[in-house]
Amino acid sequence: MGRITLDQVTKSFGAVEVIPPLNLTIDEGEFVVFVGPSGCGKSTLLRLIAGLEDVSSGEIRIDREVATHLPPAKRGLAMVFQSYALYPHMSVRKNIAFPLKMAGMDKAEQDKRVDYAAGVLNLTDYLDRRPGQLSGGQRQRVAIGRAIVREPAAFLFDEPLSNLDAALRVGMRLEISELHERLKTTMIYVTHDQVEAMTMADKIVVLHAGVIEQVGSPLELYHTPRNKFVAGFIGSPKMNILEGPVAAQHNASAIGVRPEHLASSAESGTWEGRVGVSEHLGSDTFFHVHDTGLAETITVRASGEMPLRHGDRIFLTPDPDKIHRFDAEGLRMP
Amino acid sequence: MATQHSRTAARLMISPSVLLLLCWMIVPLAMTVYFSTLRYNLLMPGSNPFVGWENYQYFLTDPAFLTALVNTLLLVGGVLIITVIGGILLGMLLDQPMWGQGIVRILVIAPFFVMPTVSALVWKNMFMNPVNGLFAYLAEFLGLQPFDFLSQAPLLSIIGIVSWQWLPFATLILLTAMQSLDQEQLEAAEMDGAGAFSRFIYIVLPHLSRAVTVVILIQTIFLLSVFAEILVTTNGGPGNASTNLTYLVYAESLLRFDVGTGSAGGVVAIVLANIVAIFLMRMIGKNLDA
Repeated sequence: MGRITLDQVTKSFGAVEVIPPLNLTIDEGEFVVFVGPSGCGKSTLLRLIAGLEDVSSGEIRIDREVATHLPPAKRGLAMVFQSYALYPHMSVRKNIAFPLKMAGMDKAEQDKRVDYAAGVLNLTDYLDRRPGQLSGGQRQRVAIGRAIVREPAAFLFDEPLSNLDAALRVGMRLEISELHERLKTTMIYVTHDQVEAMTMADKIVVLHAGVIEQVGSPLELYHTPRNKFVAGFIGSPKMNILEGPVAAQHNASAIGVRPEHLASSAESGTWEGRVGVSEHLGSDTFFHVHDTGLAETITVRASGEMPLRHGDRIFLTPDPDKIHRFDAEGLRMP
Repeated sequence: MATQHSRTAARLMISPSVLLLLCWMIVPLAMTVYFSTLRYNLLMPGSNPFVGWENYQYFLTDPAFLTALVNTLLLVGGVLIITVIGGILLGMLLDQPMWGQGIVRILVIAPFFVMPTVSALVWKNMFMNPVNGLFAYLAEFLGLQPFDFLSQAPLLSIIGIVSWQWLPFATLILLTAMQSLDQEQLEAAEMDGAGAFSRFIYIVLPHLSRAVTVVILIQTIFLLSVFAEILVTTNGGPGNASTNLTYLVYAESLLRFDVGTGSAGGVVAIVLANIVAIFLMRMIGKNLDA
């Protein structure tokens, strides 16, 4: 159980086609992340799988069974919403038990499952509180608890961490990854944050304007981005894309070099520029280099001890093996 | 308003209006209480001797009093039930996306703008009249005996008229409450396997509880003093069948010209209204806590 197949699925809102025909297979037990800029259709795609939106054409299969026109409740999927969507007038226990109650499960079994979920998620002490009395991270865990008690074929997460502060987000990221290891259930996770995608996913689906740009493991996307969009989207800070004569030297219409694949020096190197803003992270320093004649800004990662300051001259040398070449259509060249 | 000085100035500035409002409230109340202890009948001018509790004794032992009390409670309760249930149903209908939504909403709210005397007269003469009323035509069209609403079922008819007036208010408040419900909650419930009916019972109704409380409290205040609708339709009759407390007080003081007993009735009405208010707050007041 937990294998989801999308076959030529499309979605239009009136005359606007947000998702052109799309094929995707999600294997059992996989942690798949849909990532893309806002408005790229990733949430719509998730809602299509959940059944909260009707597909305009095409077929969705869950465990080989056609689910295209099944109502959400019959698909055996559980969803965690961005706003958590907890029921404010019910206690945490009743919130988690709600799907079981709707399924008509007997009280003892309900309690057993709720207690188990509460134990897994460290919620045992809060079972009698209302959602309004919980912190953001606890609410998030209640929402996840409500999803796991149903023992669904797959979990759907719709940007679940975007309402949390940075420290909590890192913590919850780990908890969700750990939960996946523990339950081995298929998970589909939507986010616009490529760091979340890189750290959690078995498989990343990069979406752009409703089209799948590339599907692959995090490192595959990092090392061999299929086109300029994926190259620019995956990796932080962004890959430097250079066009013009310097690209022509490599027989390409554009080349991409990641900040971490540029060696920097105060004395000598291939390209010369002037240091603009520098961001000190301690272990690393990111220099934004101007006046290279190649692009408006080139970002470079240097070690934290590099003593350059605003306005200093800097020399950059790209690692020749790590240069990505793109043709006129923006596709990767071998 | 941070400093001691500005706070003092602010208190000085508002004191005239506070004093004015206090007099506005206290003087009529004090005079009502005072009159209720006098033998004060406009048909017998002259001395108005102090009689103590006599007026209260007359008012409370009047056989019309108990009828009026029951009628008042039936009227308030009946209208509340109709408007709250009807308001929830209408609110749900109006919450659906449809063509011409704006105009339909204005139409729904319109009855609230018709003044009570006018709407009662329209109902009395154009709908409920056993000869010329629309209902009579309808009954005759179906081959039935026309029903004389205001003499056969006077209190029910008045409950109907008042409900018609207050339904828009309840609908409006409940509709806005429904629109503030987080759609993701409904979607989550749908994912959790709740059907349309379960979603209504477990998600929508609890969300509406606060709005329903507000509707009940506000309407009770106004419904305890329904008067114009009774005056222009049934005059409290036949007999006392549609007399409520407000109308009884009116009848005592302005039909029998007995200012003393009328005032006593007014004081009794105040006490009863407060008892109702206490009961209401006990029952549903907790819904207002955040």
